[in-house]
Amino acid sequence: MLAGRRAPSRVVFGPHETNLARGRAISQAHVAYYERRAAGGAGLVVTETASVDDSDWPYERAPLAADCGEGWASVARACRPHGTLVLAGLGHAGSQGSSAYSQRALWAPSRVPDVASRELPMEMEAAEIRAVVAGFTRAAELAVESELDGVEVDAGQHSLLRQFLSGLTNQRGDAYGTDKALLLREVLAAVRARLGDELVLGLRLSCDELAPWAGITPEHAQELATDLAAGVDYLVVVRGSAMGTSATRPDSHTEPGFNLELCRTIRTAVAGASPVVLQGSVVDPEQAEHALADGAADLVELTRAQIADAELVRKLGTPERVRPCTLTNQRCRVRDNRNPIVSCIGDPRSGHELTDTPVDGSDTPRSVLVVGGGPAGLEAARVLALRGHRVRLVEREDTLGGALALAARVPGRDRLGLLARWLEDEVRGLGVDIATGTEVDLAGLSGDVVVATGSVPGPRGYTVYDGGRVLDVVDLLREPSLLPEGPVAVHDPVGDAVGVGIAELAAAAGRPTTIISQDQVIGTQLALTGDLADANARLQRAGVRLAKRSVLREVHADHVVVTDAVTGTPTRLDCTTLIHCGHRLPDPAPAPEGAVEAGDRVAPRTVHEAVLEGRRAALTLATRPLAVRP
Amino acid sequence: MSATSRYRHLFSPLRLGPVTLANRVVFSAHLTNYAHDGLPSEQHAAYYAARARGGAGLIITEEHSTHPTDWPYEKLIHGFHPEVVPGYRRITDAVHAHDVPVFAQLNHNGGQASSMYSRLPVWAPSPVPDPLFREVPKGVTLAEIDEIVAGYATVAEHCRAGGFDGVELQCSHSSIVRGFLSPATNVRNDDYGGSLANRARLLLRLVAAVREAIGPGMALGVRLCGDELIEGGTTIDEAVEVARWVEASGCVDYINTSIGVATSTLYMIEASMSIPPGYAMFIPSALRKAVDLPVVGVGRFKDPLQADRALAEGHADLIGVVRGQIADADFVAKARAGHATEIRTCLSCNQECVGRMGLNRWLGCIENPRTGKESVALPTPIRRGRRVVVVGGGPAGLQAAATAAERGHEVTLLERQQGTGGQVSLAASVPSRAEFLDVVRNSLSECRRYGVDVRTGVTATAAEIRALEPEVVVLATGARPQAPWWAGGIERIVDVRDVLDGTAAPEGHVVVVDDLGFHQATSVAELLADRGCTVRISTSGMVVGQDLGVTLDLETFTVRAAAKGITQTTDEVVLGAEQDDGGVRLQMLTHTTGSTTDVHCDWVVCATHQTPEDELWHELSGAAGFEVHRVGDCVTPRRAHAAVIEGHRVAVGI
Repeated sequence: MLAGRRAPSRVVFGPHETNLARGRAISQAHVAYYERRAAGGAGLVVTETASVDDSDWPYERAPLAADCGEGWASVARACRPHGTLVLAGLGHAGSQGSSAYSQRALWAPSRVPDVASRELPMEMEAAEIRAVVAGFTRAAELAVESELDGVEVDAGQHSLLRQFLSGLTNQRGDAYGTDKALLLREVLAAVRARLGDELVLGLRLSCDELAPWAGITPEHAQELATDLAAGVDYLVVVRGSAMGTSATRPDSHTEPGFNLELCRTIRTAVAGASPVVLQGSVVDPEQAEHALADGAADLVELTRAQIADAELVRKLGTPERVRPCTLTNQRCRVRDNRNPIVSCIGDPRSGHELTDTPVDGSDTPRSVLVVGGGPAGLEAARVLALRGHRVRLVEREDTLGGALALAARVPGRDRLGLLARWLEDEVRGLGVDIATGTEVDLAGLSGDVVVATGSVPGPRGYTVYDGGRVLDVVDLLREPSLLPEGPVAVHDPVGDAVGVGIAELAAAAGRPTTIISQDQVIGTQLALTGDLADANARLQRAGVRLAKRSVLREVHADHVVVTDAVTGTPTRLDCTTLIHCGHRLPDPAPAPEGAVEAGDRVAPRTVHEAVLEGRRAALTLATRPLAVRP
Repeated sequence: MSATSRYRHLFSPLRLGPVTLANRVVFSAHLTNYAHDGLPSEQHAAYYAARARGGAGLIITEEHSTHPTDWPYEKLIHGFHPEVVPGYRRITDAVHAHDVPVFAQLNHNGGQASSMYSRLPVWAPSPVPDPLFREVPKGVTLAEIDEIVAGYATVAEHCRAGGFDGVELQCSHSSIVRGFLSPATNVRNDDYGGSLANRARLLLRLVAAVREAIGPGMALGVRLCGDELIEGGTTIDEAVEVARWVEASGCVDYINTSIGVATSTLYMIEASMSIPPGYAMFIPSALRKAVDLPVVGVGRFKDPLQADRALAEGHADLIGVVRGQIADADFVAKARAGHATEIRTCLSCNQECVGRMGLNRWLGCIENPRTGKESVALPTPIRRGRRVVVVGGGPAGLQAAATAAERGHEVTLLERQQGTGGQVSLAASVPSRAEFLDVVRNSLSECRRYGVDVRTGVTATAAEIRALEPEVVVLATGARPQAPWWAGGIERIVDVRDVLDGTAAPEGHVVVVDDLGFHQATSVAELLADRGCTVRISTSGMVVGQDLGVTLDLETFTVRAAAKGITQTTDEVVLGAEQDDGGVRLQMLTHTTGSTTDVHCDWVVCATHQTPEDELWHELSGAAGFEVHRVGDCVTPRRAHAAVIEGHRVAVGI
C-alpha cells in the first residue's frame, strides 16, 4: 500500500531512457512497452523521467512534462486493468544535460563543469530556482489531471536536485548552499501540495556519490533520508553522481544487487517512515525475494530484468522460466546520440511491442529441422516448439549455445551463459528433439529447415612471418589451456567487450599483455554499454599496455610491428603470441533451397541479431504455406 | 567593372542535358538531419528555398535511400517509400519558385551502415566491415543486386513524380556503388568483382535503369570519388576510367566529384580550415581531361573569386559550394550584385555543421543562427526604433548588435578594447586558426552596414550606460581567465590567453593542461612548439583535444603535433604545484590507477574554464527604466557558437 493505493506486487519497473518518445511526448510505443510489463505483473511503473522545465533537454527524445499529459493518461488507462500503479518520473538534469537541443546554457547550483561533457553551466539565480520549483509543480498538476497514481521526483544520478544536495556541485554562498537540501524540500512540498495525500509521491535519491571528499556519503544520506522520509510515500535508494556515470546502472562487471547494504542502512535509518526501494542491478528474482524477506527493502526495482522478460512477476512461481537479464547493457542502455530504441539481446521485441508480433501462438503443426544450436538456432527452435511444431535441432559440437556460450567465457561476461542455458532449458522443456555432436550435410536437406550454422574465422589484414604465432580468440575460448607462456598482444580491431576481456584474461593469467587498437581509446564500442571508462581503467590497473592509434602490420616470433593510424610511424611491440580478435565471416556452406537462414551465417554480428533472426526465421516458417507433398 | 564581368566564368550559364543553369555554383548534396520519420520535412523545403532565393545555380538535395536495408543514421530520407512524394513536391515547388533547378541524390550506403535502425543485415559487395560501423555486412547475392537496381529505379520514379529536374547517383562518400567500385571493399569473384569493368558493372546497370525510369526530360549525374585515401582503395586512374565509361553509357549529363570515404577519411571530405582551399581540384581536373561531360569540383570554396578562378583555369565546369552557402544563403546573390565583401564567409570551423551531423543533430552554422531554422519565422519586433545599448564587442555582442540594428533598432555598441572581436581575435592569432577570425569580421561588417554606432576603447560603467538612456541593454561582457585552484599564484602558471595576447612568453619545457578538450590547448601547444618550446599536453580525459574529433581537426592536429614533437598524456589530474628551481613542479595523479608522478617544467599553460565578467549584470539586472539581457560568456563561458546564438536570440526578442 502506497498512499492508500495497493500495488499488485512489490516489483517496480523504474524510470529509464527508452528513446521511444514522439518529439518530447510519451508515445504509443511507450504505452505498449509499459502495458506489457503491467500485464506481466509489475507492481509499479514509473514512466521515463520527464523534464519539468524546458531549460532541460538532456537527450533528443527526453520527454518534456508539458508535452506528456496525453501520453501519461494513455499509459495509466493501459496499465490500470492490471492493477499496476503508474507514476510519472519527473526531473531536471541540470549540468548533466545537454545544450545541443535547447541551445541554452545549462543550469546548475554552481559553475562546475560536468565531468563527461566538460560544459560549464550557468549558476542559477533566484529566477531559475523559482522556475524549477514551478516546473515540478506544473508537472505534478498535469500528472494529477492525467489520472496517474502519483509522481516520482528524481534526485538520483542524473539530476539537478542531486547537484544541489552535493558538495561536489553546490558551492553556493546563499541559503541554497548553506542548506543544500533546501531546494529538494521546496520541490517536495510543492509537489505534495498538488498531489494531496491520496496520490503517491516517490523520491529517487542518490545515497552514495562514491566521492567521499565532497559528495553525498551513506552517513550523510541517512540523515537526509530520515528528514525527508515522512514527506514521501517511498524512497528509491540509488548511488552515483556525475563522477562515474556507470555507477547507477552498471554492466555485468559489477555484482548484482550492489546496493543491498546501502539500502538496508537507509531503511534502518528511516525506521518505517516510508517504504524503501532496492535498486541496482537486481535481476535475479531470488535475490529480490531475499532482500524483501531479510528486511533490506520494502520494494524492489527490477528494471532490466523486466526488459529481458516482461512477464517476470507472473512467472515467479516457475522462476526457471524467467528469461535472465545478462546485464550486458548492450541494447537497453540507450543514452547515445544515435537515439537507439531500448531493447534486449534476449527479447528483441522489447521496445518494439507495436511492430513485432508476440512469439506465442499456434499453427498447423509441421516438422522442422533446425541446423545449429547457437542462439539463433535455439531461439528458432524455441519459438517453433512454443507454437506447436515438431522440431529437431542438430548441433555439430557436443554442447549447445554456440558463440553465445563461448562469449560467456570472456571475463565479466559470464551472465551471457545464463541466457544460453535458459534457451537450452526452454528448448528441452518444450520437447525439441536435440542431437548434439551431429554433423549434417546441408546440401542433402529439403523441407522446412532453419540454417543457423554460425561463422568461420575472418581474414587477417597483417603479415605473419616465420615463427610468428597467432591464436584465434574463438580457439582460446574453447580451450583456455591454449594460452601460451610469455608476453601476448591482443589484436582488437573491433573495440567491443571481447578484446578488452581477453586482455584482462591474459593479464590475470600473469602474461605481460598489450592490447592493440587503431582507435584513440581502447574499447570504443563500450561507450554504448557504459563500460568504456571503467574498461580502460581496469586495463591500466591490470598493467596492460595500451597500444592506441596502432594498426597491426607484422607478426614475428618475438614481436609485432604496428604503425600509427594517423602518422604511419612504425613501432615494435614485444610479444610471442598474438591473440586475434578480429571480425569473422559467415559460414560459407550453401544453404539448401527454401531454407531460412539466421544469425552469424547471414553476417557475423552480436547475440541480439542472432536471436532476432532466429525468431524471425521461426515465424517465417511457421506461417508459410505447407508444401504439398507429391 | 560589373560583378558578373568580375566573375565572368561563375555567371555564365551551362546546360546539363535538358536542364539549364544560370550560373556555376552548386549547392551539392549534404546531410542535414532535417528528415522526420524518413520523410522530407518543411525545414528541408525552407532550407533549400533559401539557397535558391540566394541565387544558387543548382541545388542537389541530400541523399534519398533506395532500399530498406539502408539506414545508417536515424534521420535518413527513405526514398523507397511512396509517401515521400508530397515532401519532394514541397521541396521542388519551393525551389522552383526562385527559378532554380533542383536535383535529388539517390543512394544506398551499403556496408557503411549498421543494423541499429533497420534491424536487417547490412548489404555490401562483400562481408568487409566498415571501419566506423564495424558491423560485418552480408555480401549481396545476384538476386539482391537486382533488388538494389530496382530500388534505384523506384526512387528515381518517385523523384520524377515529386517534380525534381534531375537525379544524381552518389557513387562516392558512403555508397554501395563506391563499395563495389573500390578494391578495398569488393572482394567478390563473380561478374561484379575483380576487374574494374566488373566492379563498375553495378554502376553502369544503375545508370541505365535510372535513365529509363526518369526518361529524357530529367538530368542524370554521377558522383565519383577520385581518391578514397585508404589503403588499397580507388585512386584517380580508376576514377578517370570509370568516368569514361559513364560518359560512354550515353545516359549521363554530368559528373560530380569527391575525395575520401565518409566513414574513414571524412576529415578530407569536409576539410577544416587546416587544409588548404581547393585541395581536391586535381580530381575534376583529371576527369575533365578525359570526358566532355561537365564536371563539378568541390573542396572548401569560400569565396566567389576563388571559384571563378578555378573555372577560368579549367579545373571544373561547376563548383560545389556547400558550407559557403550554409553560412550565407545569399552567397551567389551578393557576388552577382557586386557585394562579395558582404558574404558571411564560411570559417570551415565545422563546429555546427559537420560537428552536429556526426552527433545526429540538425545541421546549423556557427555564424548563421538562421541555418536550420529557416522554416520557423522570426517574431516581429515588439516595436522598431528602440534604443539598444550592447556592452561588449566579442561574437555575442557583435551578433546582438547586428541583428538588433538589422531589425530596425538604434544600436550603440561599447567595447573596452581598441578593437572588436573579443576572445575570437586571440584564438585566431594562431596561424592554423586564422580563418576563425571571420566570425567576428563578418558580424562587424554587418554592424557597420546596418548602422550600429560601434565605440571601441570605452569601458562601460553602469552610469555611462544609463547616460545613453537605453530602452534595452544587452550585456556581452565576456569572461576572464581563472587560475585553477592548484595554481597557487605561481607566476609561471599562466592562462592560454596570457600566451596568446603576449602577456606571458613561456620558454623551455612547457606543460599545457587541457581541461576544455577543444582548440585552446592544442593551439597554444602548437604555437609554443613553433617557438622552440618542448611541449607536453596533459588532460584528465581519455584523449587530448577530444572534441577536435567532432570538427575533423584531430587527425591533422595529430600529424602536426607529431612533427612538432608535442607529447600527450591522458587520464591525468593535477594535484598540486610548487615553485621549483625557477620553474614549476606539478604533482600529477593518473586517476585510472591512482599512481602519482612529479613533473618538472619551466612553465605551465592552463586551458581551463574561465569565469564570467558579470559585474555589470549584477549591478544592472532588475534596474528600473530598461530591460537587461546577458548573452555569451558573461552568462557562463562556453564556445563561440553559444555566443552567436544567444546574441541573435536576444536581439530578435527586442
